[in-house]
Amino acid sequence: MKSLPPLLCLIGLSTLSAQQLSPAPSQPAAPAQSAPAPAGNNASTAGQSNFLGKDVPLFDPGSETITFDGRTWNVNNNRLFQARFEKFLNAPEQDSLEDKEYNAILKDILDKLNPAQIKPSSLDEAFKLLPKASGYEMDAQLCDSIASQVHSSWMAVRARDRLASANRALEEEQKSLQWNARMEAGESTLSGAPGGDRSTPASQEWRKQKQLQRDVRMLPITTRLAEVKALQKANQLKQEVSELQARIQFQALIWQHFVQRRFQHVLIGTRFYRAIFNDGDGQLKLGDDAKNFFAKTSGLPPTVGTLDSVASEIIRDVREGVRAFTYLVEKAELESATKRLAETFIVGEYLPEIRTLEREEKRKALAFSQKANQLISALDVKDYSLAEKIVDELHVTAKDFDSSKPMAAVQTAKTVAAMHLAKARNAAVSGDHATLETELRAATEIWPRNPALAEVSGMIAKQANVQQRALVDFDQLVSQKNHRQIYDDRVRFIAATAMHPEKGKELQSILENMAVVEGAIIRAQEIEKRGDSIGAWESAERVYSQFPDDNKLNQVRATLTTQAADFVRALRKAEELEKKNQPGSSLAWYLKAQQQYPPSEFAREGIERIIHELLPDAS
Amino acid sequence: MARRSRKNHNPTWIAVTCGLIAAGFLGAFFLFQGSNEPYRTVAKLDVQAFLDNANSLRGNVYRVQGEVVNALAWSPTEGRLIAIGTEDGGEVLPVLVPTTFNHINIQKGQRFDFKLEVDEKGLLKTLELTKA
Repeated sequence: MKSLPPLLCLIGLSTLSAQQLSPAPSQPAAPAQSAPAPAGNNASTAGQSNFLGKDVPLFDPGSETITFDGRTWNVNNNRLFQARFEKFLNAPEQDSLEDKEYNAILKDILDKLNPAQIKPSSLDEAFKLLPKASGYEMDAQLCDSIASQVHSSWMAVRARDRLASANRALEEEQKSLQWNARMEAGESTLSGAPGGDRSTPASQEWRKQKQLQRDVRMLPITTRLAEVKALQKANQLKQEVSELQARIQFQALIWQHFVQRRFQHVLIGTRFYRAIFNDGDGQLKLGDDAKNFFAKTSGLPPTVGTLDSVASEIIRDVREGVRAFTYLVEKAELESATKRLAETFIVGEYLPEIRTLEREEKRKALAFSQKANQLISALDVKDYSLAEKIVDELHVTAKDFDSSKPMAAVQTAKTVAAMHLAKARNAAVSGDHATLETELRAATEIWPRNPALAEVSGMIAKQANVQQRALVDFDQLVSQKNHRQIYDDRVRFIAATAMHPEKGKELQSILENMAVVEGAIIRAQEIEKRGDSIGAWESAERVYSQFPDDNKLNQVRATLTTQAADFVRALRKAEELEKKNQPGSSLAWYLKAQQQYPPSEFAREGIERIIHELLPDAS
Repeated sequence: MARRSRKNHNPTWIAVTCGLIAAGFLGAFFLFQGSNEPYRTVAKLDVQAFLDNANSLRGNVYRVQGEVVNALAWSPTEGRLIAIGTEDGGEVLPVLVPTTFNHINIQKGQRFDFKLEVDEKGLLKTLELTKA
């Protein structure tokens, strides 16, 4: 009985398959594909069976998959099963008066057919209840089929009895004919021939005459004897054929009910069968496929008795499964509860324990089932955000929900997607468009609805635009000699020119010059703070000659020029006259400037230049 | 009736006397003044004109009194180049003192009267100098 659950599930799914099974539109689950098929399935497949199509569907409880017709489905992820299961979960409990009456009738029939109490009268009473049970819609007139088969079997048995009686009469006649034949043979001896000598022609002729007379007398007797024997054989053959036909038809009906999971009807059938055919021969006379299927999946010999015991065991198992479901729902362990109910439903869909299950109880399993299906769908379409959300919700409603597998899938996908996105970012920064495209595609394939994907794509696109714009701005500012703006936006330009070595060098040179300008400005401002406006001006002026286009420096210089106006005017006059080749006047102005600001480097340098011009050999 | 004193003061004589006294004072003034400006016959340098365009004064001779502010350079062939501060306007002028005046010590803070010529480069070249 250890292999009973697979058998039950197998039977259940066989019926489902027989009713509507078509090549599943749903994708076979990954683990299901790698699930090893049971040996029975292999054997059946190898034998090119035609049972229920091409081969026998088999349920693997280890992977919760069903293999049929070369395809594999996950029981928990099969559209057909899920649809049927959800329909059941949404259906109201069948506890109407009519349902109760029907169940009571079936129970009454089974009680009357109980092997420990069965009597000819109870058999008749049970038989009379069959049409009554058949009147209920939920019976689907199965009891009518049983009643019809029982009647046919009884007719076959009566015909057998009649043939047996006829054979007995024929046997009497045969005995009489045999006696007559012996008498005839004894009266017509060939002794007493004329002449006494057997070798004489007269004697031989006499014997021929006597033999001919005896044969003529024996001929009707032997002919009739042959006819009687032929009739006996024919009756025996009729008897055997009639009974065998009745047995086969009855067994086929029982088997049909077994496959349809009408286990109460199986019990009714087997018990009627054993009451009618009470010769002890319960061997199933079905096709090899059916017998092998039953024997290999249940491990039991294919007999009416084993069908009866398996059906009883299934009814008990379903009752236990329903009790387990109720208890698990009470404990808020909805995952186990739903699985137990699904397993029980597959087998005992038509049993009262399942049909009378309260809808409110079932809807708890339905809620979990729907969430679980949503989770499967979310994982199928790689919507890992939704999957994670559903997992969280399932954790709240079902205390026993095992989130390890979905969360492992979610986390793995997220991690791998994040790695691809990181590579895409790096590729974007380094300008490697081929890698960028590859990594983005890989990240998209792994997690198409990844929120970070759109974010990163936008960021990369924006970054590309920003980079391109920055390069354009850089070129424009360089052409304008607006190094100050470049210096102020140096971070943007450093990033933008990172992949352009020539522009990078140009930027570096500009930034170095701007560092000098900034240093001079800071120095000038510091000197000015000490009240030395001329010294500050000289500091700014010194750099200004190198970088005359810097606005900030110009502004500082202009301010300081105002503050040191006299000194600057003297210096400018000196320089102007120096350029006009008037060293005398120029020297006078330089001296005047130096008088105003003795530390002046400009004045000192101007004086030294003029002196060197006037007195080349001066020291 | 009081008797008026009769003194005989001739106004002409009085005017002549006053004139003589005034002339005496003026003469003394000019006499003393002339002794402080040794090159009074030479035109005084127009410092502003020199500062504006010395080339326009080339070849001219001027006198300048000033205080030595600094010794700018010394050339063995050309002499000493000094800076002097003029009294009027406080300007500083470069003055070349040729080697012919090497015997004269020129130090910072000394005052000199210079007779100068504006040379071909617009530089004030000393022709004569005396301590003031």
